[in-house]
Formats: sequence, structure tokens, C-alpha cells
Amino acid sequence: MKTLKFLVASLAIFMFVGPWAFAAETIKIGVPLAMTGAYAGSGDNYWKGIEMATNEINQSGGLLGKQIEIIRFDSQEFAPEIVMQGADYLCGKMKVSSIHAGWAGWGQDIRAYGKYDAPFFCDDGAMPSVDVYKSDPEKYYNTYFITDTGGDQANSMFNMLTALPYEYPNKKIVIINTDDTWGMEVGDTLSKRFKKIGWKVAKRETVPYGTNEWGPILTKVRRINPAIIHIEIPSSQEVITFFRQFIKKPTNSILSYGWSITPLEVLATMGKDADGIVGEMPAGMPAPVAPNPKAQAWVDKYMDIYKHAIPAGSWIAYTGVMAWADAVTAVGDEYNFKAVNKHLKEAGYEGLQGMIKFGENNTWHAQPAAPIVHYQVQNGQLVALYTDPPIKPYKDYKFQVPRWIKK
Amino acid sequence: MVLILGGFYCVMGILPLFFANTAHIMNILIMILIWAVVASCWDVIMGFAGIFSFGQVAFYVIGAYASAILSVSLDIPPVFAIIMAGVITGVLGVIVGLPCLKLAGPYVALVTFAVHMTLIPFLKGPLGRAIGSGGSQGILTIPPINLLGVAFSSEHLVPFFYLTLFLTIICTLILALIIKSYWGTAFLALKDSENFATSLGISAFKYKLMVFAITSFITGLFGALYAHYVGMLSTKMLSMDVFTILMIMMVIGGIGKYPGVVVGAVVTVTISQLLAPLGMYRPLIMGAMVVILVLFLRDGVIGLAQKISPLQRKFG
Repeated sequence: MKTLKFLVASLAIFMFVGPWAFAAETIKIGVPLAMTGAYAGSGDNYWKGIEMATNEINQSGGLLGKQIEIIRFDSQEFAPEIVMQGADYLCGKMKVSSIHAGWAGWGQDIRAYGKYDAPFFCDDGAMPSVDVYKSDPEKYYNTYFITDTGGDQANSMFNMLTALPYEYPNKKIVIINTDDTWGMEVGDTLSKRFKKIGWKVAKRETVPYGTNEWGPILTKVRRINPAIIHIEIPSSQEVITFFRQFIKKPTNSILSYGWSITPLEVLATMGKDADGIVGEMPAGMPAPVAPNPKAQAWVDKYMDIYKHAIPAGSWIAYTGVMAWADAVTAVGDEYNFKAVNKHLKEAGYEGLQGMIKFGENNTWHAQPAAPIVHYQVQNGQLVALYTDPPIKPYKDYKFQVPRWIKK
Repeated sequence: MVLILGGFYCVMGILPLFFANTAHIMNILIMILIWAVVASCWDVIMGFAGIFSFGQVAFYVIGAYASAILSVSLDIPPVFAIIMAGVITGVLGVIVGLPCLKLAGPYVALVTFAVHMTLIPFLKGPLGRAIGSGGSQGILTIPPINLLGVAFSSEHLVPFFYLTLFLTIICTLILALIIKSYWGTAFLALKDSENFATSLGISAFKYKLMVFAITSFITGLFGALYAHYVGMLSTKMLSMDVFTILMIMMVIGGIGKYPGVVVGAVVTVTISQLLAPLGMYRPLIMGAMVVILVLFLRDGVIGLAQKISPLQRKFG
């Protein structure tokens, strides 16, 4: 009986104390992403890149000899108090040593994480976020924007559209964008750039998310018959329904989808029907063949794990984790935030496409090692036509005049 | 009622002694206080007065934007801007309430929800931008409240908590007084049988308009407080997520079972925040909670407390 009691007591002690006593020390990183709500799709794309990076680090022995532990938080639809709650939970309570967020808001995230010192990587892509950073760069010194803003990306879209080896039948463009900061920024920039070179913005339509009935807008578009129709809606169902309704009676227009080409569901749903549409991905990985063997190995591995092509956000979120890990390795202490931040800003990081450096406003602006990639859908997949900067053709891939354009 | 509210605010009052340095818990406590009042106002108008108003989130957002615009565009000190925002929201509440007086239940819901729906394009569009709403990007630089040299903002959580607690207690007292006064009885009478209540000399016009004015004033006031707390606003505040959370508070607390809705706010905000790391399981768990409550506990936690209390069992 005594032996039995001893065994039960030992087992109980082991159960309550054991896991903690034997638990290895880990390095915690915070991952606040939209896991529910309208932006859960893009949140998932960032998550895959972050997960892949941490798995790679852990499988190769960890960081400073410790395994990385991910602490997740659902940022939902980025309501300011939820974002603030996420920052206080991850940095204040869980004491994470870095935050990898992807799209995290339009400025509220900079404020929320700026209260702490842990490096904060975000992909807000909107000028208001940069404006918050610029309001006090010393306070927000730990903020890192991993892609350009919508305005900068729109400039690149303009460069691509005007560089296409195609003679436009007229100088009329129709721009359709969402009524959020991103859509307005891209729409305004494109409108300004095209007007400057003598084009007419024949129609500018600002629509809310969830617009799926395009009849009235398409009627006007058909009357205009523009050379370019640019759609900037970072959500899949709207751009899919637009194409399905457009193609019933198409105009002689280049269909430019901007960032809207990148949500996974767009190509998965439309497949070869989407052939001919052009679009872009900031800080992208050129496809179908990557620029070098190292990058190609990464693409193959990604596709092997997740069974789909690389969506926007995955590669750059992966690179963000790797750049931070590189800085921590150089500094030797994940909690020496001052030194880690200094290293991130000054040393740069040798990524899969080359040396990548933070520039003005702590931003990974488009650069040869993290280019804006302009694609065309060909044979149901994204084919890189150009990389920017500088805007130059990618490998031997050629632009194909869309099948709906009649000569 | 007094016991529950007194106990609740006493417990809330001492919590910062333990959690002053834990920002994320302080944030939860502040949001509980704000939502408790906003949900209470909704309970008064829907649960007591029987008016199916779905404009509660809209009034909250109107208050927030009004104060933000007044303080950012017109440089009005936040303290005055908050009071003015309350008044503006109260007046708008009356304007919305006027056509509702002639309508039956479901139509009131439609009219008030229409206010909610039209706010988004208004604030994002040229009219909103003209008055300083910031359009799609919202308002990013809302100043913190500064009172007698003390700053109240998300960076000074303990002072802000006590300011919110102070305002919450005042507003709760006002709401409790209304419920327990002749007005409260009049609301219930109108809700149960408007014709009979009118025959007793209770003016449906006067009381319904009054309830719209008071609840929208208080809701606007707390919307304004929220704006100066988080420091930035956008039309995301009008998302269905916020609306649903507020509704869950009512269901958990029990509609018309004041102060059950205060308990509902505590449970809903706490669970919603604590479940945030679980991602998609959060709305699943919240949804399941609502289904179970509606099926088995229609009067919310107050109904349950009443069922299991010894006095209730003894006297039925």
C-alpha cells in the first residue's frame, strides 16, 4: 500500500511539476494576424511564411541554441482597441522578443507596438501608417515596414502598364478601387500619373468591399471602351465576379488587377479563364522560375508543404523572421532590443534574392533583392513579366495580348 | 440591483491595485467599463422601453467621431469636446427617434439600422471628409484627455481607468434611477401595452423621445471617451463584429434584466479578449455560447441567478 501511495504521489508530482521542470527554454515571438474576419485570407498567407521560417530555424537547432515558440493573437479586423490589446498581451504579458504581423492596421498598430522595444515587422502598405511613424521616428524606432505603400506600388504599376509591348488603341483608362485607404491611395496615384502623360481617366469608381454586381458599372465601361481597366480590390470574390461579368461582353481593354491578382482564390477559382490579366506583388518572388537556385529551392519547398503557388505576403514575412533571427544571432541576445534594432537597420540581410536593406522610414522599399513583381496570368498561372526597380523584363517571359482583345 | 452594481464597481475599483502594471488586463478592464455603459443604454431602450433600436453602435460611433472632429479640426479641448459630442449624439438620437415614434417594432429596427448603414458611406465619402472624418483612413491624431495637468490616454492606463470608472458610476446611477423611477414604470407600461398605458395618461411620445435622447447622449459620451482613449478612429468601428459583441452582452446578461447586461459586458469582453489567441475558435465559442443561452437560459445570467436563489425557490 505504501509503495502504491508513493507511486501515486510521484506520478502526481511529475504531472504537475515535470513538464515545467523539463521544459526547454524557448525564444518567444509574437504573431498578431487577422485569423477571423474579412482579412483572414491574407493573414493566413503571412502565417505560412512565418511558420515556415520558424520551422526551418527550429529544425536547424534553433536560435542561440533555443527553439522558437510562436505566440499567436487574432487581430480580427484591426479595431484600435483589439490591436492595442494584442500589443499589450504579446509584448507586455508574454514578453515576446519580436513581432511578425503582416498587415496589421493603418497606424494604430504602429502606436500600439511603439510603446515597446521589440522589433515590430508589419506590412501595412498604407501612407497613414508611415505618417504615424514619421510623427515620431525615435519613439517608433522598432517599427519595420516590410513592403512599400500603396502609392509607391501604384507608381510601379504605372511603369509596367506604360512599358508593355502593346500599342494602346486609345488613351482612356477606367480605375475601380475600394473605398479603403489602400484602394484610394492606389487609385489616386494611378489617376495622377496617367493624367500627367495626357491620358483621360474616363471613369473613376470607388466601391465598397462586397460589390459583386457589376452590371451598371460595366455598362458605362462598355460605352467608354477604355484601353486599360484597373481594378484595385484586395479581396477575391469581387475581382472574380467582375471578370465573370466582364468577359460576357468584353471591351478591347487590358485588364490590370494590381495587387488583386494575388489572393490565392483568384487563380484557384478562375484558372485558365484568367489568362491575360496583369497584376503585381510587392516584395514578391518571381515565378514560375525563381531568380536563382536558392530561391527556387525555397519555392519548391513552400509548394511541397502548402500545395499552392506563392501568394503575396508569404515570402516577405518569411524574410522578416529570417532577418530578425540573423540580427539576434549577430547580437547574441534576443532581448537586447537596442542592439537588435541597430543591427536590423544598419547591417542588412542576405536574403534569397540578394542583400536586402531597410531604407527611408524603416521600409524595405522595392529593391532588386525584394522587387515588385509584375505578372500576367498565362496558362492558369502567374508568370513574371517584369521586376521593379529598375523596371526590366524578367527572364524570357513575354507579354501575351489577352484573348478578348480584337485587332 | 444596487447590490450587484455596488459589488461590481467596488471590485472593479480595486483591480488596478493588482494589475496596474499589466497593460493588457488594464485594457480589458477599461473596455469592460465602456461596453457596460453602452450595452446598458441599449438594454434600457430595448429591454425596458421595448423600442427595437438597432442604432446603438451608430450612436457610439457618432459620439466618437464628433469628439474627435471637434478636438482635431476645431482645437476644442477634449473634455469639452466629449461633452459636446454627447449633446450632439443626444440631439441626433431625438431626430432619429421622431420618425420611429410612428412605427411598430420591426420598422424601428429597420430605420435605426439604416442609420448605422448610412454612416459608413457618409464618413468615408466627400461629405464626411468635408467635416473632418478623414475619409477612408479615418482620424489618426486624436489628442488624449488632459485634466488639471494629468493625461488620460492609452499610455496612462490607471488614470484613464479611474476616469472611466467615475463616469461609468455616474451614468449607471442615472440609468438605475430612470429604471427605478416613475419613468421606468412608464417605459414598462408602454412596452407591455401601449394603448392601456396611454389611457392612464402616459405619453408615449414624451417617454419614447426621452429614452432616445438620454441613451444616445450617454452612448455618445462613451463613444467620445473611447475615441480619446485609443487615439484613432475609422469606420471599422461600424463592423458587424462590434455589433455582434454588443448583442452577445445583452443575451448573456438577459434582455431587460438590468443590471444583467453589465455582467454580460464583463463576460463577453473578457472571453472575447482571452480567446483572441485561439483565432477562429473565438467566434465559434462565442456563437455556441449564444445558442446555448438562447435555448436554455433565455433570461441570461440574471434569469439563472433568480432561478437558483434560495428566496426564489422558497416563494416561487
